[in-house]
Amino acid sequence: MKHRGRGLAAIEYPTGMNQGGDPSQAWVKIKPDGRVDVFAGTVDLGQGSKTVHTQIVADTLGVPYETVNMDVSNTDSSPLCTGTFASRGTFIGGLAVLKAAKKAKEKMLEIAGQAMEIAPADLDVEDGVVFVKGSPDKKMTVGEVSAAATWGFGELITGTGAHLKAYSMPDPDTGVCDPDHAISYAACVVDVEVDDETGTVTVLSMVQAYDVGHAINPTLVEGQIEGGAMMGLGLGLLEASYPHYPSTEGRGGEFGAYLMPGLPDFPEITSVIVENPSADGPFGAKAIGEMANNAQGPAICAAIHDAVGVWVPQQPATPERVLRALHAKATGAGEPRRDGKTVIFDEDVSVMTLADESSVFRDVIGV
Amino acid sequence: MKAVGARLPRYDGLAHVTGRTQYVADWSAPGMLACKGLRSPHHSARIVSIDTSRAEAHPGVRGVVTCKDIPKNVVGHLEALGVPADEPYFADGEVRYKGQLIAGVAAIDEATATAALDLIDVVYEERTPFLDIRKAFDPDAPKITEKGNVFFYDPYDHRKVTKGDVDAAFEKADVIVKGSYRPSAIEQAPIEPQGCLVVPESDGRLTVYTCTQAMYFTMGVLAEHLQRTPGSLKLVGGTVGGGFGGKVDSASEPCAALLALKTRKPVRWIFTREEEMLCGSVRASWHVEMADAISKDGWLLGRKVLTLHDAGAYTRFSSYGATKHSFHLAGAYTVPALRTRAYVVWSNHVPTTAMRGFGVTSASFAIEMQMTRGAHVLGMDPWEYRLKNANRPGDLMPTRKVLEDPSTIDTIQACAKAVGHPLSATYAEMKNEGRSGEWLPDHLRDQAADAKLGDPQGAAR
Repeated sequence: MKHRGRGLAAIEYPTGMNQGGDPSQAWVKIKPDGRVDVFAGTVDLGQGSKTVHTQIVADTLGVPYETVNMDVSNTDSSPLCTGTFASRGTFIGGLAVLKAAKKAKEKMLEIAGQAMEIAPADLDVEDGVVFVKGSPDKKMTVGEVSAAATWGFGELITGTGAHLKAYSMPDPDTGVCDPDHAISYAACVVDVEVDDETGTVTVLSMVQAYDVGHAINPTLVEGQIEGGAMMGLGLGLLEASYPHYPSTEGRGGEFGAYLMPGLPDFPEITSVIVENPSADGPFGAKAIGEMANNAQGPAICAAIHDAVGVWVPQQPATPERVLRALHAKATGAGEPRRDGKTVIFDEDVSVMTLADESSVFRDVIGV
Repeated sequence: MKAVGARLPRYDGLAHVTGRTQYVADWSAPGMLACKGLRSPHHSARIVSIDTSRAEAHPGVRGVVTCKDIPKNVVGHLEALGVPADEPYFADGEVRYKGQLIAGVAAIDEATATAALDLIDVVYEERTPFLDIRKAFDPDAPKITEKGNVFFYDPYDHRKVTKGDVDAAFEKADVIVKGSYRPSAIEQAPIEPQGCLVVPESDGRLTVYTCTQAMYFTMGVLAEHLQRTPGSLKLVGGTVGGGFGGKVDSASEPCAALLALKTRKPVRWIFTREEEMLCGSVRASWHVEMADAISKDGWLLGRKVLTLHDAGAYTRFSSYGATKHSFHLAGAYTVPALRTRAYVVWSNHVPTTAMRGFGVTSASFAIEMQMTRGAHVLGMDPWEYRLKNANRPGDLMPTRKVLEDPSTIDTIQACAKAVGHPLSATYAEMKNEGRSGEWLPDHLRDQAADAKLGDPQGAAR
């Protein structure tokens, strides 16, 4: 028989390498025709970081997005980036390109000021046009300014920028430190159907709300939410490098021998972007990359419990694990042990059961 | 038009989906040799001897490298942060996991290189592997290192977070809920496997075409292995066919670079899917035991956590991951009293590394299972139990960092609205703002009480 259930999970996730100390640098220059080149070491893994950085540079400089080219191709022309991990690309890499673009903008206005014989402070840029504040008819295109820099003044319009949060060492006793740039949040609701004969769990729908600060590109944010959901589905229901962990038997060495979700497994999905901007992020952004696969697994386990009243405290919740839990419930063995006011679940896998009596692990929790 | 906030298409998306993007495996160079690696068939063994002479004499083979050929074999990815280097690039005297790299061969084509691997004679003396991390301190457990099976965080053998008066919280609690959570190791499973092409240039530099997620990181590690200046290397990449954390460790580059230097030819090494999945690092398996002290009206008063992180055979980024894990053991909620202990345990599994959500995925799983179970034991709505304990502006994280812009309340309310979950008026109208009135109970009144460094009372526990 099939049973339906709903589960909720809520999570948070930090931006940037834990404890900091992970710089990113960037360099912006403007060609004589006004096209903009951005050099940074921030690798694009397919998630669209080049696109997001290009958007940040375009708006900071005041030029059309289409006129900005981003080059992350090699370590000779691109300055240092610690790497694309730790959900740091948009925030730290983004701040580096933003600062570089600001410097380039200052230089551009300085050149335009000389060409137009106006103080740079009285100028601004929008849509690729430098204009006098208050009298927008007095203007030069960015291309004209850059040509003037090149052929008239013998200058290069350029700017560099970098972002670094100093490394913060945790206190070894308390853990006190300042380890991150911002915290993103998410909540995930899944509706499942559990077949009590086969143990199969099918996720029918998934509704998720993500606070990413300000969404620099909502389409790419949704791409991360949906891609992460797919991965979370794998974590929650299917994937295991060691299906009989800790034994190493049964490892899959090819995609055909390793269960991952495919598009037919993908439920109806609704993504809500909540914007609670970070005071420090580029245009208020926080991060989205990594957190996107963290909430689905526990939400699925909560939904399984709601559907059939059993707990699967191991990921993935395979049909075998669900059936074993259903069997334990049917034989009355699935209930937690109560000891006074303490309710103890999962005793069968606990170190209190499995580690030697002398093991220091047994002292940590003590129940 | 403003670009920020606009739904612009992905800069390089069309090229990706029409197969026009060039990845490392699409590149080649004149005279290029193919590289293959010999890997351990055992989880744990002493290496008695390695003889490469038959392979070197094989027609079409241009070079063979082992631990004897690498200028610096043991390089740590996080040495700059004080994490000692413990992993040899080529196995030296022992293997600690099935799939560990022992030797590299460069030959005129892949088939010749693969055939030559069978001609490398290695004599092993097998040992009993250590696989169940829960038994790391058991007297009869096999030892991974001479010092034992647990990473040392100076001055303790675990990462601690100690906050508030945990014993008082558990004393005061009406209910204590305890569970054990075991999320699995999984593959990063990018479509593009690990790989690189190393080209020796006429000026003596090496150009390294690579799929790394972190070009400068890889450049630093590679320069150390080769004992060359980073400036003598040019890494080319920046476009990656999926990483998810699995392309931060340096995998193919040092071997291919050594063979390129030895043969003075371009050398390309692209992992097979089998190598990528069985020998490349995976997300770790974790074991998390958590006990929550809860009042009968649904306040989280305190939490104790024991975490065991299965690092596999070497440390890589595991000590970093377990620290990050420790800092997020309160989740999206404010827990005034915490005592957490996270152990990084070595085993004879394949070394684990970063993967999307590194360290926190396991914390989120354990915490959210605890929240669902806690609400169930109390007979409370799991949505309202979460909202009641939600982070609020001004609250302190486990690290005592002040939260400026938390969104537990906003994201849960947004989900409730989207699915039509009925919240009682108190929770439907709850505002994401600093604590006052009923949302400022006594136990959250002085969250910073023990925020000073080196709290002696906390440290003693």
